[in-house]
Amino acid sequence: MTTSITGIGHSVKRKEDARFLRGKGTYVDDVKLPGMLFMDIVRSPYAHARILNIDASGALALPGVLAVITGKDLDAAGLAWMPTLMGDKQMVLPVDRVVFQAQEVAAVIATDRYIAADAVALVDVEYEPLTPVVDPQKALEPDAPLVRPDRENKTNHIWHWEAGDRARTDELFDQAEVVVKQDLYIPRIHVSSIETCGCVASFDRISGKLTIYMTTQAPHPIRTVFSLVSGIPEHKIRVISPDIGGGFGGKVPVYPGYVIATVASIQTGHPIKWIEDRSENLQADSFARDYHISAELAAKRDGTMLALRATTIADHGAFDAAANPSKFPAGLFSVITGSYQLQAAHVAVDGVYTNKPSGGVAYRCSFRVTEAVHTVERLVDTLADELEIDPAELRFKNFIQPDQFPYKSATGWEYDSGNYPAALQKAMDKIGYADLLREQAEKRARGELMGIGISTFTEIVGAGPSHTFDILGIKMFDSCEIRVHPTGSAIVRIGVQTQGQGHETTFAQIVAEELGLPVENITVEHGDTDTAPYGLGTYASRSTPTAGAATAVAALKIREKAKKIAAHILEVDADDLEWTNYQFQVKGVPSRAVTMKDVAFAAYTNHPQGMEAGLEAVDYYDPPNLTFPFGAYICVVDIDRGTGEVKIRRFVAVDDCGNIINPMIVDGQIHGGLTMGMAPSLLEAITYDEDGNIQQGSFMDYLLPTAMETPVWETDKTCTPSPHHPLGAKGVGESATVGAPPAIANAVVDALSHLGVTHIDIPITPWKVYQILEEHGVAEA
Amino acid sequence: MHFEGQQTIKASQDAVWAFFMDPNKVASCAPGFKSMEILSPEHFKPTLAVGIGAVRATFTLDVHLVDMREPTHAGMQAHGVAAGSAVDMHSAMDLTPQSDTLTEMRWTADVNVRGTIASTGARLLESTARKLTDRFFDCLRQKLETAPTVPASQTE
Amino acid sequence: MTHHVSFRINGQAYEADVEPRLLLVHFIREVAGLTGTHIGCDTTSCGACTVLVNGLPAKSCTLLAVQVNGAEISTVEGLEQNNQLHPIQEGFFEEHGLQCGYCTPGMMMTAVALLKENPDPTETEIRQAISGNLCRCTGYVNIVKSIQYAAKKMRDAEHEPVPVSAGAEGGQA
Repeated sequence: MTTSITGIGHSVKRKEDARFLRGKGTYVDDVKLPGMLFMDIVRSPYAHARILNIDASGALALPGVLAVITGKDLDAAGLAWMPTLMGDKQMVLPVDRVVFQAQEVAAVIATDRYIAADAVALVDVEYEPLTPVVDPQKALEPDAPLVRPDRENKTNHIWHWEAGDRARTDELFDQAEVVVKQDLYIPRIHVSSIETCGCVASFDRISGKLTIYMTTQAPHPIRTVFSLVSGIPEHKIRVISPDIGGGFGGKVPVYPGYVIATVASIQTGHPIKWIEDRSENLQADSFARDYHISAELAAKRDGTMLALRATTIADHGAFDAAANPSKFPAGLFSVITGSYQLQAAHVAVDGVYTNKPSGGVAYRCSFRVTEAVHTVERLVDTLADELEIDPAELRFKNFIQPDQFPYKSATGWEYDSGNYPAALQKAMDKIGYADLLREQAEKRARGELMGIGISTFTEIVGAGPSHTFDILGIKMFDSCEIRVHPTGSAIVRIGVQTQGQGHETTFAQIVAEELGLPVENITVEHGDTDTAPYGLGTYASRSTPTAGAATAVAALKIREKAKKIAAHILEVDADDLEWTNYQFQVKGVPSRAVTMKDVAFAAYTNHPQGMEAGLEAVDYYDPPNLTFPFGAYICVVDIDRGTGEVKIRRFVAVDDCGNIINPMIVDGQIHGGLTMGMAPSLLEAITYDEDGNIQQGSFMDYLLPTAMETPVWETDKTCTPSPHHPLGAKGVGESATVGAPPAIANAVVDALSHLGVTHIDIPITPWKVYQILEEHGVAEA
Repeated sequence: MHFEGQQTIKASQDAVWAFFMDPNKVASCAPGFKSMEILSPEHFKPTLAVGIGAVRATFTLDVHLVDMREPTHAGMQAHGVAAGSAVDMHSAMDLTPQSDTLTEMRWTADVNVRGTIASTGARLLESTARKLTDRFFDCLRQKLETAPTVPASQTE
Repeated sequence: MTHHVSFRINGQAYEADVEPRLLLVHFIREVAGLTGTHIGCDTTSCGACTVLVNGLPAKSCTLLAVQVNGAEISTVEGLEQNNQLHPIQEGFFEEHGLQCGYCTPGMMMTAVALLKENPDPTETEIRQAISGNLCRCTGYVNIVKSIQYAAKKMRDAEHEPVPVSAGAEGGQA
């Protein structure tokens, strides 16, 4: 009898914890190579300036400094610019002008990191300041400073993108009985994983091979890009993602530091380590959001929603370097129709350059889905307020119903499965919605400010089918390779890359389930491009939908061969066997059975004549569709009239991500996601003054939630499997970051709506709230 | 950032003007003054150590006196860099005699700070800059009102 | 110009000639080669570098090696004793208190110090104690549970707080 197989659905404790708990993880700053040198970066204090001169003599005179690399040096090798993931180009090091504050201007190479830091202070850069433009609306004005004179089109307007049926949408708006409008600004934020970005680049002159340890969520595409940009053939480049201390999208872009370190390694013949400070990380690395949205919802007086339209100015910073699939410069923003039946919708987005760092989707946002969901959920509440219909009731009335799936949305997405009413009802029951309404009425009568906010969101993940999705032309499949050893253990290699999501455990669980091998006998590896099959990496919650599916399919291929070997062992026809109870049993004679372990041994010692030995398979999975996890969140807030502070009293999150591989890990993802949804709602925003100075250049001013601000999240589930995914699973990593902000914003507006407040932009800081309280005469001194 | 202010100084207009034209005297009032290179009566480079919140930087300012209209109006343009930060300042001073021994000095200063000091010190920048600017002009007044023939001392 | 420093980390003696400006965290990671203590920020805000100095939690990025001359330092590597995980490590494992693992060593060291001082903390007391340790992955819910698990295990076993050097009294933090 086999030992119990803790496959899919079990809260298996994590295998990777063994090293992390002991402080034996290998993060990139833990990597030490013989002869390693250190790189540090000189950065521009100006948001926009001409570089008149760089005098590195002071730095080079410092003992221990080996080199100073400038844009001119890179330009000579054709490397001063590199392609971005969106078909734009960005500077690696500037030759003659800087375009955002903290932009890399030069790099110093030294024997130790303290000397490198000293040397940075000794590089004398002469600038001629230029007027920066930090407001995207101003950037579109005819006399605005030009951020990118290198472009053919001398304008700060990057692109215009639309989706949906404008004519039909406008028609519905013209006929509508009710139209509500919201202007929303969703500010720039920064993901701030606790580990910053960095690399160790090591070029071996003898073999001509470049090995680069890098904080990257997507090692294979990075390898391909590096090969195309550097000319080093791809088989001579090895990208290794070691342990990564949080990614959330911030470790997808190719940062100039990686490229400069590579050049330095080639130049010096030494390994080069570059690890950025937190200040550098905050001030220069990829951001998220910065969407200025103007949106409207058209409806009937009875609350039936008809159509939605939105126009957006997307502030992209100085380069278009958001890591979106190539046909989607505004990501999946067109999922803005949300969980509702809308007859038509139209969105138009305009990307704009400003003198700020580049990026756009680096904060657990699922390719702009946070922006889309925030908009539609705020509109729904605005409509509810206008029509004086309870926000839950309005949502029930307009939900896509369970029997309508697969559902083609007004902007062309085919939602695979969903049951929105069940999720919302569950959330309402769990939080005691009716009681809360009563309590709120009583509190309101006493002048106490309490709010209830709902968010019912549909996520869209698992990019994606090859007919629609690619990144720089590379299709967005993902992969898995499984090899079973003679004694019944296995090694699994996948094309995705964990940054804390627990892949070493969850992917082992998939294989355990599909092959009947114990989880502890299955090793999962990824992140080394020399050995892992090609994959597009982990971001936008795609690992389970794509690589998880590849793993299931690869396992299935193994099982098909295994069945034939089992038949050979049992001396029956393969058709007489069934895979059940984690073994191959003769139909009707369960006592005649063999396990996968038995089969594995036979695959090497007793395989049928004419069949190849061994037991392995690889699958590159092209998902037929995206998957659509969803949820219903309800938030209760109390507002302190003396300080404006918003306290989250309760937050119930009901998530549906289809079949769950490891419930413990899924809950962990949701807790983390909710916290990263609360942060932009109440605490975090990156702003710039008119000189382009960032106002939150360190953790002293950019406030991450601590254990004190974070409430005890209450989670629950419904389960609506994906009909097209081999495991019925959907992915969940970003759902909570997508769904939480509108629940919180709606709750605060609800708390203040009786005063006439109809909208507050996030982050909803105590100061913002206090000013509103004062304005309405309810602030306490 | 724009600051302006007014001082009534118990000294003659000529004495005030002469004081302002002496870079050593002016430098003695500069915050965090450490040393100075004088290239000409109208061009000098003081080195100042300035801190805002947690950030301390040593700036070498390149200072030019401009728009000189003796004895009523003088301007000063200063540009300085420290590691990761840059400062630009334009200031102007107007003197109006109230009597033989009383002079009204009106001053304006436009200060632009960029880089680490501006980003890490953002919350404190305006109040600190205002404080330092006020202190500078206060110091000039005090020095003028004590025996003007006493040679100005270094540092503050 | 260098200074000679000597102190103990996890009970083991270390001696070196260091620049006065060498941060303790760099000594631990690079001179002593113990890379379990991590750096997450540059303004003493994140707590990833938390170690115990004479039993008290301290952010090693904001201490100079020369400041802790003669002290007893405890890092995450010293938690496991005789191949047995410390209750705090067990708690984090059982309650899924870590995801990427980067904040975890600092978080656990803070927890060890808390439980020595307060063996039965309330949830609020736990959250206050770890408010100087930032985590982006977990949302803190399971970290609190991990610490509660450890507290209970230690109370049940009437466990002497380990590691060896964490219990040392006196000296300057």
